Amino acid sequence: MVLKIVGSLLVTCSCGALGLWKAGQWKDHLGMLEQLRKMIVLLRSEILYAHTPLGEALGHVGRKSEGVLAGLFGAVEERTMQQQGELFYIIWREEVEKRKKEMLLSDRERQELIAFGEHLGYLDLEMQEHTVALYLEQLEMSIRFYREHEREQSRLYASLGIMGGLFLSIMMC
Amino acid sequence: MERNDEVIRIFAKEIRRVLGRAGVDFRKVQEIRLRVGAPLLVVYENREYFVSRGGELGTAGRDAHLVTRDELRETMEYISSYSLYAFEEELRQGFITIQGGHRIGVAGRIVAEDKQVRAMKYISFLNVRLSHQILGCADAVMPFLYDGPAGQVRHTLIVSPPRCGKTTLLRDIIRQLSNGNRGRAGVTVGVVDERSELGACYQGVPQNDLGIRTDILDCCPKARGMMMLIRTMAPQVIAVDEIGSREDMEAIGYVMNCGCRLVATVHGSSLEDIRQKPVLREMAGQRMFDRYVILGAGSRAGCVEEIADSRGTRLWGLEGMAYGA
Repeated sequence: MVLKIVGSLLVTCSCGALGLWKAGQWKDHLGMLEQLRKMIVLLRSEILYAHTPLGEALGHVGRKSEGVLAGLFGAVEERTMQQQGELFYIIWREEVEKRKKEMLLSDRERQELIAFGEHLGYLDLEMQEHTVALYLEQLEMSIRFYREHEREQSRLYASLGIMGGLFLSIMMC
Repeated sequence: MERNDEVIRIFAKEIRRVLGRAGVDFRKVQEIRLRVGAPLLVVYENREYFVSRGGELGTAGRDAHLVTRDELRETMEYISSYSLYAFEEELRQGFITIQGGHRIGVAGRIVAEDKQVRAMKYISFLNVRLSHQILGCADAVMPFLYDGPAGQVRHTLIVSPPRCGKTTLLRDIIRQLSNGNRGRAGVTVGVVDERSELGACYQGVPQNDLGIRTDILDCCPKARGMMMLIRTMAPQVIAVDEIGSREDMEAIGYVMNCGCRLVATVHGSSLEDIRQKPVLREMAGQRMFDRYVILGAGSRAGCVEEIADSRGTRLWGLEGMAYGA
């Protein structure tokens, strides 16, 4: 009997923890999108006001940040500076894909990020401004969605975890 | 970075391959010309060569590598470090200066607005002019640039046709004035490097040796830069490349009135030639310059044909002396 109680408690706790972890992921995802937005705003300033070349600008912004996005910007800077005969959008796409797992972005968000890189550096400052503005708008929409559903999703995942754990315990007993 | 690497990495992959096979020594290359649909041309030791697909240099155009639009577009990406927007102002003037001080002339279709060049599109012609730093090329000229053995630097104008080495000569004069030479103490030199050709600054740091007492205003319009240097860096000598506008003349007058010495270059073939040009005629008439160093299109770039004083009296000349002579 004691074993059954201990087992049920363990199952309930693990399922609850799983639910909380999932709810935490939602928050992390939102955090990543907000960090990305901040970095893109900094990049916009480097491009529009200081007219800094792309590689250098990405490097400056990367050094002001941390985490996987800082790594992405730094790696792109390094490869553009080496000028090994690769086009920018290929470098950008490869580096984004390389960090697919760590980035916590959905497929749609990753595709938007890749598309953003495809148009960076092309033509004049006006074009850069529009490219950045379009991407910021897309980011804003994602952030709004995650924020609006943050509370309800956190509760949902946490409750689902605990309830799922209880359900499993009852079933096992 | 090796000079060959520095130059070759600005080209599209296919052109890199062709030039790599040709085994070109970029220290001896003056120009590389790319035109869409036309053969790849290299000016090597003052002679023009076609580069074949197999990477051989030849004077006949047979089997020459024809530059494609994609190759030119790719080359522009590398030249601009994937950031054409960062060179908008330079493109309006028709050239970009890259790391190492190499100047890329650009031509294509101009987008004009109110008679002003707004942008350039369909870039189809590139002229890659390689910068050459020759330390000591001004040795023979230096004694003429001082007022006596321990005297002040004289206001000097280097007159030269295009591609005859005036920027190279000016660069070495700056270096020698700044470091001091033949027992003469070095002086503080301010350089207004409008096209980044003299110092070839990369992220603010000069890639060429302009001496230990030199301050550089990089990518700054000449006239404004001269004023800024006088007010902020207190130079004893100011050096500028390719003067000629009325605005330049006014700034030069200001520099000279401040007791600062000036060393400059100008396009021209002789003293008579510059006396034909409206602004320069006035400068020559007012004897603003104490020395004129005239370079000629001799067998080698950098051949000094003549050195004259403010009146145009020849102090040295006729036979010519080349760099390093």
